[in-house]
Amino acid sequence: MTSTTMSSDRLWEVTSRTIVYAAIGAALYGILLVAQVPIPGTTVSVRPAFALVPFFGYAFGPIVGFFTGLVGNMVGDQISGWGALTSWNWSIANGLVGLIAGLAPLYLRRWTEGSLRDRAIGGAIAGVIATIIGFLFTFSDLIIQAGNTFGGVLSFYFAVIVADIIATVILVPILVYAWEPVKAQLGR
Amino acid sequence: MNIAPRYLGRGSWLARRDPRVLILVVALYIFTVLQVWDIRYLLVLLLLAVLYYRTANIPWHYIRRNWMVVFTFIGLLVVVNLIIGGGATGDITLDEAHVIFYLPLLGTPMSAESLSLAVTLFLRYLAMATIGFPVAFAVAPSDFGIAFRRLGVPDKFAFGVDLTFRFLPSLAADFQTTVDAQRIRGYDWSAGAGRGLLTRLRRSTPVMVPTVVNAIAGAEDTIDAMDLRAFGTGKRSWFRALKFDSTDRLVLLAFLGLLLLFTILGFMGITSELYVFPFLLDMAGA
Amino acid sequence: MTELGSPADSTAPDAAGSAGTADGTAAPIVEVEGVTFRYRRASEPAIRGVSLTVSAGEVVLVAGPSGCGKSTLIRAINGLIPHAYSGDLSGSVRVEGRSTTDLKLRDLALTIGTVLQDPAKQIVGATVEAELAFGPENLGIPREEILDRIREVAAQAGIERLLGRETSALSGGERQLLAVAGILMLRPRLFVVDEPLANLDPATAERLLGLLRRLADEGSAIVIVEHRVEESLDLRPDRVLYLESGETRYHGPVDGFLEVADPESVRLPFDVVARRVADVPDTEPPAMTLGERHAEPVDPTPRLEFRGVTASIGETEILHGVDARLGTTETVAVLGPNGSGKTTLFRTAMRLLDITGGAVLVDGRSIADRRTVDLVETFGYVFQSPSQMLFARTVEEELLFGPRTMGRDPARFEELVDDVLRRTALADLEGIRERPPLAMSFGQQKRLALAIALALRPQTLILDEPSAGQDHRTAQAFMREVTAIPGLESLFFVTHDVDLALTHADRILLFRDGRVLADGSPMQVIADTERWRACGLRVTSLMEANTRYRGADGKFLDADTLARRVIAQDPTRRWGPGREAAAGGLLTDQS
Ligand SMILES: Nc1ncnc2c1ncn2[C@@H]1O[C@H](COP(=O)(O)OP(=O)(O)OP(=O)(O)O)[C@@H](O)[C@H]1O
Ligand SMILES: Nc1ncnc2c1ncn2[C@@H]1O[C@H](COP(=O)(O)OP(=O)(O)OP(=O)(O)O)[C@@H](O)[C@H]1O
Ligand SMILES: [Mg+2]
Ligand SMILES: [Mg+2]
Repeated sequence: MTSTTMSSDRLWEVTSRTIVYAAIGAALYGILLVAQVPIPGTTVSVRPAFALVPFFGYAFGPIVGFFTGLVGNMVGDQISGWGALTSWNWSIANGLVGLIAGLAPLYLRRWTEGSLRDRAIGGAIAGVIATIIGFLFTFSDLIIQAGNTFGGVLSFYFAVIVADIIATVILVPILVYAWEPVKAQLGR
Repeated sequence: MNIAPRYLGRGSWLARRDPRVLILVVALYIFTVLQVWDIRYLLVLLLLAVLYYRTANIPWHYIRRNWMVVFTFIGLLVVVNLIIGGGATGDITLDEAHVIFYLPLLGTPMSAESLSLAVTLFLRYLAMATIGFPVAFAVAPSDFGIAFRRLGVPDKFAFGVDLTFRFLPSLAADFQTTVDAQRIRGYDWSAGAGRGLLTRLRRSTPVMVPTVVNAIAGAEDTIDAMDLRAFGTGKRSWFRALKFDSTDRLVLLAFLGLLLLFTILGFMGITSELYVFPFLLDMAGA
Repeated sequence: MTELGSPADSTAPDAAGSAGTADGTAAPIVEVEGVTFRYRRASEPAIRGVSLTVSAGEVVLVAGPSGCGKSTLIRAINGLIPHAYSGDLSGSVRVEGRSTTDLKLRDLALTIGTVLQDPAKQIVGATVEAELAFGPENLGIPREEILDRIREVAAQAGIERLLGRETSALSGGERQLLAVAGILMLRPRLFVVDEPLANLDPATAERLLGLLRRLADEGSAIVIVEHRVEESLDLRPDRVLYLESGETRYHGPVDGFLEVADPESVRLPFDVVARRVADVPDTEPPAMTLGERHAEPVDPTPRLEFRGVTASIGETEILHGVDARLGTTETVAVLGPNGSGKTTLFRTAMRLLDITGGAVLVDGRSIADRRTVDLVETFGYVFQSPSQMLFARTVEEELLFGPRTMGRDPARFEELVDDVLRRTALADLEGIRERPPLAMSFGQQKRLALAIALALRPQTLILDEPSAGQDHRTAQAFMREVTAIPGLESLFFVTHDVDLALTHADRILLFRDGRVLADGSPMQVIADTERWRACGLRVTSLMEANTRYRGADGKFLDADTLARRVIAQDPTRRWGPGREAAAGGLLTDQS
């Protein structure tokens, strides 16, 4: 693995590395979700932590990404007391974001195999795509929470992805830039 | 910052149940509630949920804040829906609805139906949260992995869940250390609040980056330690055993029955109709 | 491999072990022959042509300065090389006669148990039981058997009282013991232990070494990597492998090693140093403390004063009424066991943790009404692990983060960066300003953390564990550089390195269970060895030597200087292991 992302043939490999990164991603996401300071006077709080989901997916592959989003969100809900399973479909949506970001090598080759700068930008792009698609799953609220008006779900969808996309675009590249040189030191 | 999940229900009747029960009950109950739009039946379900919740006897003063969070969250959800619904509900259009008044400024119509719906929705969410709560406080963190395993999740991922709980406290402590380390450089983590969104995000990097990068870099040793103890090289056994006793079976059956009952009632159209409060209709002058 | 995994087979080691001890000529467990390894990303091999054979019942000590390839050798033995780490490997490593390249990690796990450098990181269980069970679980051993082993191992490692605890609530020492116990669960024949003493207070260290010694006596083989040679000798190693920059400098019995080892890079017992100072040129002057550097009489109002300070983390009270005065122009070292509250103490001083009782005064003024930000002019705080504050993309940005947030004058940033880099001996690394901080070596990060603190021009430095994870030479050099910083008034540091504390401090605070047990000059504090041991501290040969040759009012000297003085006074004296006890006159500071 010379670039941030994995070579596409190893995307689905599950080693102890995969599991450890997944667990770390999930724990961090859960922690930072809770640690975040809500913005007074706004309905949706920006969640800097969210950037971790696309980042872990992008850097360590779809499995790590999915686990980070799914379990991380459950842990966040768990700690806040909402209960890990109460809004399980939102957890899955988060998981999908990580998963799709993790598939970047399949649809963003030009970026994922380029220079550090390209890879950082690629991370942002993958994150945005993943967020837009992944959160579509929250429309399942229409069935689950029938009586939620379509408008209601839609407005939540937009509120969330706008905030999360901003977080992604700003933070994912920063994380890629910070992680790359360190990775070069460790590598097995 | 106390981030570690708190096993507050320790020793309670509910905590003695097989964790799988608590997980499955949430699923069963949620699908039960989904059938119900008649608030009178919903109140019955909510009562059940509350009784169930009480068996976890979680000391109130520890979780007052959590409940506040839940209430505000639900309230928000409902209000937004109410406003966007604009007097209409899922299946009642605005001209069918009985408008009572119009919101000042927004001018959104508030109908007897939409208001009833709002209250109903609120109770539905509340009921679900009430059932979900014990999962947060009455399942030993160390039980999640094995519970998911026994529910059919593959070995490695089930262990991944265990590992996540293992990392929570230590990473939370590291995060705290990083926040401190930056504070002594004049940095203030919460100062971003209220400022522009971008400022807030950029201000989070001095704590986000070290926490994340160090966590990942530190993983090398953990990975070695796992490889050296033959992780993932074959089928794993779990030293924790879950025993599913008769009480567990009863609880599960009870909730299963509940689901069946309300599904039937739903099909018979008894509980599936939104109950519109008569006094609201009167106010609407219908 | 499945039958290898079966409990029946994995009970074999004990049998084999006893057989090994019965007739001294046991078949070797590991044979390393001329191994050279280069990590995939490295240009140079990390180890070159290293050979080592270990048989049942043997204890081998692997020593050498930081970065000499100790951990790499260990990885070659336990199979991480080549199974987990890729690179060019030549030479052969055979475990019980079979090459590690042919064996799977799963099979190796049954013969070789490895305890890694950092216990906090290798523990994967949320509870003590879960951690112990992890290995056997992976081998699919049935749970009844696992539960039996847990009981057995807990007794063997003496950690019964830890059962049921959550691993996150354990102290550093307890974690280290648990890590070893986790390996015991697999009943390996060879234990490979990488710097187990690094973060341990001496008492826990002794306990751990005792456990390892027992294992060896019961027929297991031990390979232990350690900087702290003096302590490691308690293990009575049969042989020592001494590496320098990846090559074998010495391989043989202990005595021979003590003759060749470089006293500056590994710390040796005092009598050995004394025997050898003659051959080594006298390079460095005795360590200086700030108390000595500031000739002027000590300012009566202390820089930092604790008055009956109590503080809690969560529900539990950590500090139970601490009273201490840390002077404006002195070096103070805080010594104490793991978890005694040393770090917590200084966190209260920076208002990173609110006190629940008493008062903290800085320059005679209570800090109750001051925020952390108001204190950064006074105190520069360097954390236990440096990387936890690094986030910027270049060293320069990293250094300027503090001054920027504090709204310092940008015009002076250029010289500021130059200045702090020079003072921390980082300036000579080429392209240092542009380097990514998080990618620098541990030692360099430690220096950078110091530079970051200095960039805010503090009057006093607080260092938490300045020597942790560094070898003798690096740690000594680091302390000298810090003390030499111009304009620095006082230095307070926390450490487990007894000799380092005693040689570099004017005053020692003995800390235990959130209380100050003793407060005085090094010589005064070490006078009461009972209390010293009660604080979980080790009586080092250097301490014994100082007590023997120096008056209670004298200055505590480092091994090199003390030895030279002693010899200067009596050139005829003969040195032999433990023999210097024979004669002993008091040295006074007339020199
Ligand atoms: N994963 C790796 N990739 C590339 N180079 C490495 C890797 N691990 C170690 N090295 C290099 O190999 C050399 C030996 O490292 P090693 O960790 O074996 O030294 P050590 O004696 O264990 O040091 P310490 O006492 O600080 O632990 C060092 O120069 C180090 O930079
Ligand atoms: N974030 C935390 N949450 C809970 N307990 C903590 C936390 N940090 C420290 N403690 C507890 O406070 C006590 C003192 O911790 P502290 O780090 O001050 O000890 P220390 O003397 O610095 O130990 P060491 O020498 O290992 O660094 C310990 O028992 C530790 O378990
Ligand atoms: Mg090492
Ligand atoms: Mg400490």
